[in-house]
Amino acid sequence: MHIGIVGLTGCSGCQCQFLNIYGGLSKLLERAKIDYFPLLQDDNVFEEFDVIFVEGSVTCGEDKEKLKLAREKARVLVALGSCACYGGIQASIEETACGHFCLPVSEVVEVDCKLPGCPVGVERLLESMAFLVNGVKPFEYPMTVCHECRINENDCIILKGGICQGPITLSGCGAPCPQMGVGCVGCRGDSDFPNYEAFVSLCESKGIPKERVEKLLFLFRRRR
Amino acid sequence: MKITDVLTRVEGHAAVELVVKDGKVRDVKIRFTEGKRLFELVVKGKFYQEIPVIVSRICGICYVSHRLASIFAVEDAFGVEVPEEITLLRSLLVAGEFLESHATALYLFSLPDLFGYRSAVEMAKDYPEHVKRALRIREVGNHIMKTIGGKTIHGENTTVGGFYSLPERDAFKKIAHMLEEIMLDVRETVTLFRSLEYPDFSSCHDLELRLDAEGFWQFSDHLSLSDGRRFHKSHYEEFVVEEEVSYSTAKVSRIDGKPFLVGPLARVRGVSSSNPFNDDLARALELLYAAERGLAIAERFAFELPPVSKVEVRPKKGKGFGVKEAPRGVLYHSYTFDEDGRCVNANIITPTSQLQAVIGENLRLLARREPNLAYVEFRKRAESLVRAYDP
Repeated sequence: MHIGIVGLTGCSGCQCQFLNIYGGLSKLLERAKIDYFPLLQDDNVFEEFDVIFVEGSVTCGEDKEKLKLAREKARVLVALGSCACYGGIQASIEETACGHFCLPVSEVVEVDCKLPGCPVGVERLLESMAFLVNGVKPFEYPMTVCHECRINENDCIILKGGICQGPITLSGCGAPCPQMGVGCVGCRGDSDFPNYEAFVSLCESKGIPKERVEKLLFLFRRRR
Repeated sequence: MKITDVLTRVEGHAAVELVVKDGKVRDVKIRFTEGKRLFELVVKGKFYQEIPVIVSRICGICYVSHRLASIFAVEDAFGVEVPEEITLLRSLLVAGEFLESHATALYLFSLPDLFGYRSAVEMAKDYPEHVKRALRIREVGNHIMKTIGGKTIHGENTTVGGFYSLPERDAFKKIAHMLEEIMLDVRETVTLFRSLEYPDFSSCHDLELRLDAEGFWQFSDHLSLSDGRRFHKSHYEEFVVEEEVSYSTAKVSRIDGKPFLVGPLARVRGVSSSNPFNDDLARALELLYAAERGLAIAERFAFELPPVSKVEVRPKKGKGFGVKEAPRGVLYHSYTFDEDGRCVNANIITPTSQLQAVIGENLRLLARREPNLAYVEFRKRAESLVRAYDP
């Protein structure tokens, strides 16, 4: 199996997660060959790929061309991380800058699979790689982060008067932030059927100003 | 003929542009190829609590630095003072960051060059122990950042005024134990990078900028220049002047109109800073400082936790500045807030943008000093020169 890891405009954090798989990576390399990964190696070839992971969002012509070429060469194209899946935090500019755009990968080419997260979790990445190596498309469980807090028996941030996007955010991270007492910032994007209005009024009823809640809400979700 | 080569094994998206005539290199430029990130615009209008969350995403390797520099700036603007223990815990976080970042730069990016391999994966076939050592050090760095920050990358626990919550004493015991276990790896790294032969190159710069502190683990409000000048962080933009250039998306900065050095070589004393290839040796020494410093702090918190995790923060109208030594050099953040804590203006100056001038000038020097080098050979030399700065 031939793998490529392509970086568009982003922080390289999701690409670094490949280095953070440790033992898993060397096991994986027995089954797959990484042909393209400029972050880690020289002499990268860009020919035929079974899977290409694309990190980052599309913000310039060079990104667009690179992405279109990747789509041509890849049997399966995976959007890696929240920038690739949704545009990411860099897309949450309030005032419109002249000629600036920041697009998720799926608005430029067809995407076969999305692995959101800021960054994508190491466990999710390893699990997805194992799926792909065996010819199975990875999938998300479209439940909320609240669900994972229940499983971990975390204290509820909202009940304590804090602000937490758990009720409207896609699970799959294991809720590490609420576990530390930090409200979810929504980095994995929407769960199924997110009810923004109910979320905003819930926070308002706890005394958090609407403006703050809305700004936080669109940190990782592009304002439509 | 103009050739653009995308650089490999660097964290940013950089390329060198070579002007080649008759197979020889005549001119060379470094440029950053990714689109504009516009983080100064992203933070505009957002509340202060979200600033660290946003700027963390500037860099997936040195997110701790961006987070802390922005936190220092917000605390400066609001007049927040944090107790010594919170500062110490932040230092431990920084030790984790340097362990991870420097081990990556040294073993995964730089050593393959010095040993003549195309990647660390290829190098691992002949030097498995070196690569394993790198992974062990990285793992401890990541573990520290995950324990204190809450996540391996972009950990959200670090915030204005301190931390949302503190790890248990046992977690610090574990960190101390893990640091003790890699101490030999770290010492061997210093021995290894001391024993290596580095290419000879005399850099164009004659000015160096660093934080006025004992080392990268210490925080300070002052900066010092290698010519003896010392200034407060609020005067940063008077010294470091940024300029947009047509060929790169990163801005170019200069002091007194000249390129200057930031980073390990500007920080570590006792290593000659005129040869950029010595950057690796300085990095190896900083790896040792990170492990030793981290161990001392972890042992202290394993014995007694900080009394508070976070102090109260009240927003007020005004401007604040934050400076910090990131793994690649001095990082500067400044923000202006309205009375409710909305950000109305921001400026961020990164080490990479500050290094761009010195790297570009040194690449031109290389082309001038080696006019007869064939294209392929020149490319290799240019790449390893850029990589020495770990941009």
